[in-house]
Amino acid sequence: MREYCLNIAGYNIKVKSAPGGPLLGPSARFEGSRVQSNKHDILIRVHTGQFILPAGAERVFHAPFVGEREGKTFIRSEEFWDVYRDKEGGLYICTIFPLEESQDRGTLIFSLQSDVWELWIEGKGGKIDPLAYPLDGLLLYYLTVISNDIMIHASGVGFEDRGYIFSGVSGKGKSTIARLWHDAGARVIHDDRLIIRKMNGEYRFYNTPVYNNDKPLEAPLSAIFLIEHGMENRIEPLSGVQAVSQLLANCIQHNWDKNITGNLVNAITDMCEKIRVFRFYFKPEPSAINFILDHEHSQKTYR
Amino acid sequence: MELLNQIPSRSSSVVTRKTGNEYIIVPVTDNIADMDSIFTLNETGAFIWEQIDGEKSVEEIIRLVVDEFEIDRDTATKDVLGFLSTMKEYLIIKM
Repeated sequence: MREYCLNIAGYNIKVKSAPGGPLLGPSARFEGSRVQSNKHDILIRVHTGQFILPAGAERVFHAPFVGEREGKTFIRSEEFWDVYRDKEGGLYICTIFPLEESQDRGTLIFSLQSDVWELWIEGKGGKIDPLAYPLDGLLLYYLTVISNDIMIHASGVGFEDRGYIFSGVSGKGKSTIARLWHDAGARVIHDDRLIIRKMNGEYRFYNTPVYNNDKPLEAPLSAIFLIEHGMENRIEPLSGVQAVSQLLANCIQHNWDKNITGNLVNAITDMCEKIRVFRFYFKPEPSAINFILDHEHSQKTYR
Repeated sequence: MELLNQIPSRSSSVVTRKTGNEYIIVPVTDNIADMDSIFTLNETGAFIWEQIDGEKSVEEIIRLVVDEFEIDRDTATKDVLGFLSTMKEYLIIKM
């Protein structure tokens, strides 16, 4: 195909092959997010070939390729992706594709003010997946930056008419608690990464495609729980700078630009004024879910 | 004492946000891992932070802390120097 449109977390992302550009072959994990739409929040034009960075572009952020073993992260390779900025403020993400055999390198050329981004891919011929890892997450991250939204390491569930987020870095129990909710009949929005958006004055959270045929899912945001494994189930309310700082530490962020970081701090602070935040120590068993439901019923601000 | 005559100033590479009487301070760097270095300031820390304007000396800040919180000079000196030392270590202020 030459073009397609995705709706992910409410963003309309149009991907189009540039004149002379490659055939596009999006991964199966985007199949459930495909939509027919003439409107877009962002248009990505895809080219094949090598893109040479302009002279004077400086590297502002470097990300090594990180692996995980027994709950601990380690650097598998220093080479992965970098963000560069040119003298006019134009941005460039240069990356390799460690999980793709037919694509070597890519450069995304973008700015935080433009809704048309250019993507150059060096490949070995054949179809190109423009949103191959890690570009999928990077593109979504910068869409949240543009929109003042929040991308967070968290699992999230919808239960009846409410939605709960359980945030923590790797090893804190995001997948475990998502599984417990699933067993209790809740709708699991995602078990690892969410996007939180303020839509028409209300906070909602969304999944992003990770597994094949993932369907777009969302739920209203009623409360956020920062999770820790515990010897017993226990909830402690968090407020003010404690809530903001601990949520901020769990957010996905590149933290190289003062304005981007400032906007994220403001977005989280504003959210914490409307959404309740708790520290939740939990036992990995069904009692944890009942504990939260009892707690929610006892809250005066229950919604 | 020379340290007391020094004039601390805030780094331009930090993001601050005040919530109630407290502050959150985030150093802006090129490293994800440094997001672990998010600082929250209680009321006392917030007061000291607000006095760091590139004009007041450490001595003046200590005097203001004594007046504001009605504490003895030794306690104020220890609090202010400890605060400035941590902020300097994380490049949040310059002295």
